[in-house]
Amino acid sequence: MSISIATDDKKDYVTITIIGNFDFSLFNDFRNAYTDLEKSYSLYIVDISNVEYLDSAALGMLLSMKNTVSGNATIQLKGANDFIKNILMISRFDKRFDIK
Amino acid sequence: MKLLCVDSEPAYREIISLCAQEENLEVHTASTYKEAMEAFLEHEPDIVTLDVLIKGGNAFNLVKEFKAIAGERLVPIVFVTSNSSDLMMDQCFVIGADDFIPKPFNEQLFNIRLKAHMRNVQLMQEMYGKNKTLTYFQTMIEREHEMAHQVLNHIQNRNEINTRNLAVTRLSAASFNGDLALVKTRIDNSTLIFVGDFTGHGLSASIGALPIMQAFFDAVDELTEVSDLVTQINRMLLSILPDYMFCAGYLMLISEQGEISYWGGGMPDALILRDSGSLDAISSNHMPLGILPIHEFESDFHTSQLHDGDTLLIASDGVLELKNNKNEMLGKELLKAYISQAYSNNEEDLRVSQFNMEKKLSRYLGECEQLDDITLVAYKKART
Repeated sequence: MSISIATDDKKDYVTITIIGNFDFSLFNDFRNAYTDLEKSYSLYIVDISNVEYLDSAALGMLLSMKNTVSGNATIQLKGANDFIKNILMISRFDKRFDIK
Repeated sequence: MKLLCVDSEPAYREIISLCAQEENLEVHTASTYKEAMEAFLEHEPDIVTLDVLIKGGNAFNLVKEFKAIAGERLVPIVFVTSNSSDLMMDQCFVIGADDFIPKPFNEQLFNIRLKAHMRNVQLMQEMYGKNKTLTYFQTMIEREHEMAHQVLNHIQNRNEINTRNLAVTRLSAASFNGDLALVKTRIDNSTLIFVGDFTGHGLSASIGALPIMQAFFDAVDELTEVSDLVTQINRMLLSILPDYMFCAGYLMLISEQGEISYWGGGMPDALILRDSGSLDAISSNHMPLGILPIHEFESDFHTSQLHDGDTLLIASDGVLELKNNKNEMLGKELLKAYISQAYSNNEEDLRVSQFNMEKKLSRYLGECEQLDDITLVAYKKART
């Protein structure tokens, strides 16, 4: 699997780690990663430090996640490489996501 | 699953039948060549066992007939025979046997071999089924991509024809990747340009293109302001597209005097090649279209100025991400170098410059397949 999930109920956050290319092929798996959780969290960390390439479909999937998780929750995009950080900044994802 | 046992000896027909029934196989038996042919045609067995010696014909011919009838279907042929010389075994494998078991045989061993063949047959059947499904979907997607191309071509037919001062190029890849370029001169001689890039590929990416086209050409007629048009497009896309789809884009209005008003969201830098040869960048600084709700959407535009002999270039990210045979992306710096060379002011006709640029891009690509559509819009401010 190129997506793994780790939850920490005490500290109220969940980490979704993606490995490899983040693209349309992960559409269902990525959606399941945050919709199949038993409860909602205040912080969702999407760890993309092992992602080499991300396309516009992946950006769309992140926006969809933002719409789905509860309004007060923060989504943190963690560990983007320079190439991906550039893509995120061009599309001004800093307005909707916490980019670390 | 069905097994056909071809054997002249009644005792072996019985043993093999019992063994096969233990594995829940439906068993049919035949004792002669003619019976075997009839049984094969009638029952379409999945596995065949047969002796080298059969009454009324040659077993090797029988195998050839079976293989011909089975066609693409995998039917393992297992020879079970008393003539177990190396020569005979060789001959059996040469004509296409899948296994060779000397008589008399150990029943347990026989069943293990039988199970192995059953697994193969089952795997092949599953693979065949999946393959059929995949082929179906692939064909469907190809049709959809063709349709998307047609929709897009229809839209771009309404564009301005390339002139000495305006050139639009779309190099289509095998699949439509969502690039859209609209260019039209208004009655006040200003030029309105929209270059967009939808998320996704194929038909779904082209859904938003039709309403944008409509709004764009209406705006040309009605001399709509950049801010108003971009707000309208954002609102439309927000209501049409699902939340995982959006459209990065530039909307630019260039007045006859060369003043550019532009709104950009999610696009790579556009470039201005100055008459002097230096390059300036125009950056998009908004979120793409179709994401932000109406009350959050920012429609403020920026301005820039084209002077005589300056050329404005807008390239989709398909250009920047063009990959050569070493799998390297073209990237910003090389694109800048290409632009400086292709659009240098030694050439006054933009169509020629554009052609030179296309040649450079195709040389970079080399033998590699172009994966994404490429859109390149160039506008040159004429010398007055």
